[in-house]
Amino acid sequence: MVNLTIDNRQVTAPKTATIYEAAEMNGIKIPILCHDKKLKPFGACRMCLVEVEQMKGRQIPACTTPVTEGMIIHTATPDIIKARKMVLELLLLNHPIDCPVCDKGGDCDLQNLTYDYQVNGNRFTDEKFHHQIDYNNPLIERDMNRCILCGKCARICDEIVSFGALTFIDRGIETKIGCEFDGALNCEFCGSCVSVCPVGSLLARPFKFKARFWSLTKQKTVCGYCGTGCNLTLGVKDNKVLTTIYDQEQGFHKGQLCVRGRFGYQFINSEKRLTKPMLRKNGTLVAVGWDEALDFVVGKLKGGNVAALSTARLTNEEFVLFKKVMELSGSKDFDHSAGYAHSALTEGFARSFGTTASPATIPDIQKSNFLLVIKSDAYETHPVAGFEINMAVKNKGVVLNILSDKHGKLGKLPGAKTLLHVPGSEIALVNALSKVILDGKKAAGIASSVVGYSQLEQSLSDCSVEAVAATCGVSVNDIIELANDYSAAEKALIVFPVGLAYPGHNAELASAIANLAILAGKIGSEGSGVLCMSEKNNSQGAVDMGFYPSQDGKNAQQILDGCASGTVKTLFIAGENPVVSYPDRTKTAAALDKVDCLIVSELFLSETAAMADVVLPACSFAEKEGTFTAADRRVQHIKPAIRKIGLSRSDFEIFGVLISRLGGEVPVSSATVFSEIASNTSGYAGMSYAALGESGAFAPVDIKPAFVDVKAPGQTRQAGKLALLTGSSLYHCGTMSQYGEGPMHVCPEGYLEISRKDAANNKISENDLLTVTSASGSVQLKARITPRMSEGVVFTPYHFSSASVNQAWNGTEVTWVTLNK
Amino acid sequence: MNPITPIINGLKITLSHLFKKPVTLQYPDERPNVAQRYRGLHALNVSHNKAKCVACYLCPTVCPAKCITVEAGEDANHDKYAEKYEIDMLRCIFCGYCVEACPVDAIRMTGQFELANFSREDFVFTKERLLEKK
Repeated sequence: MVNLTIDNRQVTAPKTATIYEAAEMNGIKIPILCHDKKLKPFGACRMCLVEVEQMKGRQIPACTTPVTEGMIIHTATPDIIKARKMVLELLLLNHPIDCPVCDKGGDCDLQNLTYDYQVNGNRFTDEKFHHQIDYNNPLIERDMNRCILCGKCARICDEIVSFGALTFIDRGIETKIGCEFDGALNCEFCGSCVSVCPVGSLLARPFKFKARFWSLTKQKTVCGYCGTGCNLTLGVKDNKVLTTIYDQEQGFHKGQLCVRGRFGYQFINSEKRLTKPMLRKNGTLVAVGWDEALDFVVGKLKGGNVAALSTARLTNEEFVLFKKVMELSGSKDFDHSAGYAHSALTEGFARSFGTTASPATIPDIQKSNFLLVIKSDAYETHPVAGFEINMAVKNKGVVLNILSDKHGKLGKLPGAKTLLHVPGSEIALVNALSKVILDGKKAAGIASSVVGYSQLEQSLSDCSVEAVAATCGVSVNDIIELANDYSAAEKALIVFPVGLAYPGHNAELASAIANLAILAGKIGSEGSGVLCMSEKNNSQGAVDMGFYPSQDGKNAQQILDGCASGTVKTLFIAGENPVVSYPDRTKTAAALDKVDCLIVSELFLSETAAMADVVLPACSFAEKEGTFTAADRRVQHIKPAIRKIGLSRSDFEIFGVLISRLGGEVPVSSATVFSEIASNTSGYAGMSYAALGESGAFAPVDIKPAFVDVKAPGQTRQAGKLALLTGSSLYHCGTMSQYGEGPMHVCPEGYLEISRKDAANNKISENDLLTVTSASGSVQLKARITPRMSEGVVFTPYHFSSASVNQAWNGTEVTWVTLNK
Repeated sequence: MNPITPIINGLKITLSHLFKKPVTLQYPDERPNVAQRYRGLHALNVSHNKAKCVACYLCPTVCPAKCITVEAGEDANHDKYAEKYEIDMLRCIFCGYCVEACPVDAIRMTGQFELANFSREDFVFTKERLLEKK
């Protein structure tokens, strides 16, 4: 820490701080336009000029000057104020003063400073710019006439998003922000540039002209898409969520969001939302009152042979109540997300770590020295966690290694190494890494005392690195090098995504990875561990609340089999759309068709809801109170941003009524249910809504490591066929994002990524409609030829109802398909 | 004092008024001269055959009676215009702040003061009704 004087106040600041940061830490405001907490100092705007006595009264920029011991700084002398006024005059010289029609008005840094410094006229005259405005982009509108060239957009796109879509182009007075060759913007559309723009140059097009900033009610909440658990601020007006608002103080990610978080909110106020309960009468669904619908549901639940499937998007409190409903109905058969999506946690980690949670957190990514990412999709499933990886690699020099069956964006980071393997061979590869560590006597000292060490040694004794290398398509040297680097790193973290579309990421892979981490001793300390990135916003919560089958209960697949065979009479589905998202559409749809009574509580009339006997309109995350548990077990409190839509009720209310009708004890409020959770869930002790506050709290993970013998599955390569991988698209999450206009503007339909070689071999060109046929069925998808796929491997995201991939995909790790035009 | 005197004084004043110009108007046969700065019914100014209003929302923001509803839209040139502009005259207090707040001189107040009507709906003045008559 250094001591310095700012405006006659004695303050202290860390050695690495700049004058601007030191002032901000001590509550002294210095005006600035080109600074953001997350970005490196740039010094473009010259608004933050201050005087330092030791520098003979010269005016220097506060944002780029580091503090030194004994500095005496003045931030607002008459000379400085005069200089700042001139800076503003010069900025306003070319800036069109179109505040009345600019959506940034009210939230504009330039407008606020102009007002603060009372710049009412201009001594200079110059012509305004006449750059062409980009109205064509569906998400980001670019008006470079308003730009003040602070460079924040270009820097955030480069430093954090690592895409580099925007940069300074042209020279001198003509300099402007643009894309390569001044072309159209075609990027990830995360909107980070929009969020940091201090003026109205970059605007969110979906929010264009919708409302003025000051008329919005700002409600802080947690994003309802993936398991990263990003904090959001929703801008609400007239009971409508109109936009998301940037707040650089919010969350571990400092307000940074991805495309679905920032632009995918439209599903909340979608016109397709269900507003009335519906009951099937004479074959068609007709709107009925709640009493009639619930009478019907209660009657069926009392009838016995009940099972339940749930989405992982309910709140923790709702999971507890849903479980109670099932208990009162005398059923032990309930599950979420097709079973395998969370088996990595509930079975794999339960065996290996003695707990059903990841022994690492997302902030550990930046504190680590070595990252091993299994499947490059970690960026696509959890983009904001991907930004953390970007920053770790670029700013902190973290070594990044990727073990994947296709190339991805993470592999383009400086120094990143991608080991491309044959699809479905992750477990064999991870076992081979363990083997190398064992053979090289590089295992951590404590590893030999862990339960199951000798069995692991024995089971790995017949594992040959050369054989694995040959079958996985990776060189022996690469495997040995990776294993040695991993064990040699001081702190090392393994990240892998799990979810509906990642059937190979199951209990076995989790245990294999856990073995590797325990063996190398990379567990239990800051910056080390294994991070299992669960897919949905409350997947970890569903597991923590125990919403998965116990020993004698049926899992999702067995429940569907039960429906087909008639042992399950009533199926209650909350928020899930198995027809589109579960593997093998034909089988799933047939099972749902067969079951006597299908109860669905949903936001939309999804494919599954359309088959139901009774449909209950539920609430989205923006309309209810509760808690979500992120992938790294960060428990966060959400509050309603808008009133409920139509006659819809939250699942909490629906389950509450059902519990009372089934003779159970009715919960008073979600707060009381949460206090119940806090008292009987490990790690949640001491939590309450008040204690969680805005930032939430981590539920600590207590691990008891054990080695588990994992056998790699045999290769099932089929000659002449291509390996179909399923996964997540960057713009979507689950099937809910289909109702968000933002994601649908960018990625409206399914596609099939195919390598150039395969495309050439099969004479396929871009956008050709292909029939993808597997043993279980076929689906039509448009071809997208990319360099990121290797020969013999094709990839498709699973989110879309219009061409649902599960017609051809049956839930095995790799589906072998043929392509026809 | 003689009790009759005040009565006579009063009658004098009354009689004198018989020969003065009357203060009242024979409304509606006679129309008042409305002052230039009178704050009556609003009108939306027109320029180049369209309303000058750019839907900046400053008038609904400043309105103390919250009687103005604006909804912005995007026209063919991607410019902002008021898709909906309504004033609820039952709520309006004719303070004139909207005129003062307008950055583009799009709204003014006319001398029109006859605002009585038969139903509540008729007091909601839509953009069509507010547009300046040529």
